[in-house]
Amino acid sequence: MTATTMPAQKMWQISARTVVYAAIGAALYAVAAQFSFLLPGTANVSLRPGFALVTFFGFAFGPVVGLFTGLVGNAVADQISGWGLLTSWNWSIANGVVGLLTGLLAASLVRSIPNRIVLSVVAPAIAVVIGFVIIFSDVWLGTAKDFGVAFADNYGPVVIADLIVACILTPVLVTAWDPIRESMGR
Amino acid sequence: MNVSPRFLGRGSWLSRRDPRLLIVGLALFVFSVVQVWDVRLLAVLATIAAVYYRSAAIPFRAVRLQWAYVLFFVSFVVIANTLLTGGELGDSGADLHVYFRLPLLNTAISAESLTYALAQYMRFLSMAAVGFPIAFAIAPGDIGPAFARLGLPYKFAYALELTFRFVPSLAVDMQTTIDAQRIRGYEWERIGRGPIGKLRRTIPLLVPVTMNAIVGAEDTIDAMDLRGFGTGKRTWLRALAFDRSDRLALLAFLVLFVTFTILSLTGHTRLWVPPFLLPAS
Repeated sequence: MTATTMPAQKMWQISARTVVYAAIGAALYAVAAQFSFLLPGTANVSLRPGFALVTFFGFAFGPVVGLFTGLVGNAVADQISGWGLLTSWNWSIANGVVGLLTGLLAASLVRSIPNRIVLSVVAPAIAVVIGFVIIFSDVWLGTAKDFGVAFADNYGPVVIADLIVACILTPVLVTAWDPIRESMGR
Repeated sequence: MNVSPRFLGRGSWLSRRDPRLLIVGLALFVFSVVQVWDVRLLAVLATIAAVYYRSAAIPFRAVRLQWAYVLFFVSFVVIANTLLTGGELGDSGADLHVYFRLPLLNTAISAESLTYALAQYMRFLSMAAVGFPIAFAIAPGDIGPAFARLGLPYKFAYALELTFRFVPSLAVDMQTTIDAQRIRGYEWERIGRGPIGKLRRTIPLLVPVTMNAIVGAEDTIDAMDLRGFGTGKRTWLRALAFDRSDRLALLAFLVLFVTFTILSLTGHTRLWVPPFLLPAS
């Protein structure tokens, strides 16, 4: 299985297709985020299978769709649960950046990693590690007292959990999507 | 699973306001609250939040699950922060007044750490109270026009509107898929073996729902293309206009933000420990 590239100018183009895929991704993430379970042996690391939708939409449809899926999907999920649309706005931005980076990395690493399945593991993994650095802003917002707490309480757990989810479920979604994409002629 | 937007505040004072007020007001309130640690000032902000929340007339019975979630999550954040900081509060500017130390963790429980925990509770609950009306006191059809009129690019605003429209139908699709897979012997609730096993159990649910949603989106894309979406500036059927009450409320939020920013810059919002919490020396 080989990778397909998205031309640079098409990557930033916002068409009706981009808008609808972005909305579908965000709505799916908001709905799927209601399902989560605790990682055994940890106190506060919960796995959210829905997070794979952020990396999948970024990978399959580009950085704009990935950004919107993470940013708006997380905010709407918080809104549905009652936490509030903007209460954890920095986490929504972090989720959006992960989607954006996944799309960018998928396009830029395609020559180095021609195997699409391997690429669908590597790109989200790097995006998760870099993207969630934004949640260190919790220190400024007062949600975490200092960088040590932010690392132990927020960054570390969320990166571990989302790495597991993204590295397992993104390739599964890509494998399911590729034949459908070909049959649709996209 | 009911995730449909519910217009619970219909007819209330807040629901009659321009939806842009609720969005901008929340942003100004959140940026005011995050600057404050003094529980006296937080009490003022919490009172404002409570009055604002009451004006949305959201029936408590309809949102008690959401409030339970908020309380659980806030408690978790507060306890984790209090335990992990170990009572070392760098900006308190004073020595800690330690009551006792927790066994095993050796965390100091002090007057300062208790005040810090209380301040966190007040901050989060105030923000949640001001955030709730966005979910329950804005007509679902007003979301897109509100964000478009706030200056967001219309394509982004339209995507936002579509997101809110897709959520209920995708939730129904999710439930239908759960039911369909259950007939085939799939049980979401059954515990899988380890985290990988648990994740694998979500595949029969996540994959069909996602692929169906993407394939089904073709109709929406075609409809938008046929109507020339993206070829020129889009107008909205719903017209929004600020009235006098909206302007006054917005001004109040702005004054609140400016006041607390000045108080913060002049060092008046730092952690304040109530005297009755300090042990007699």
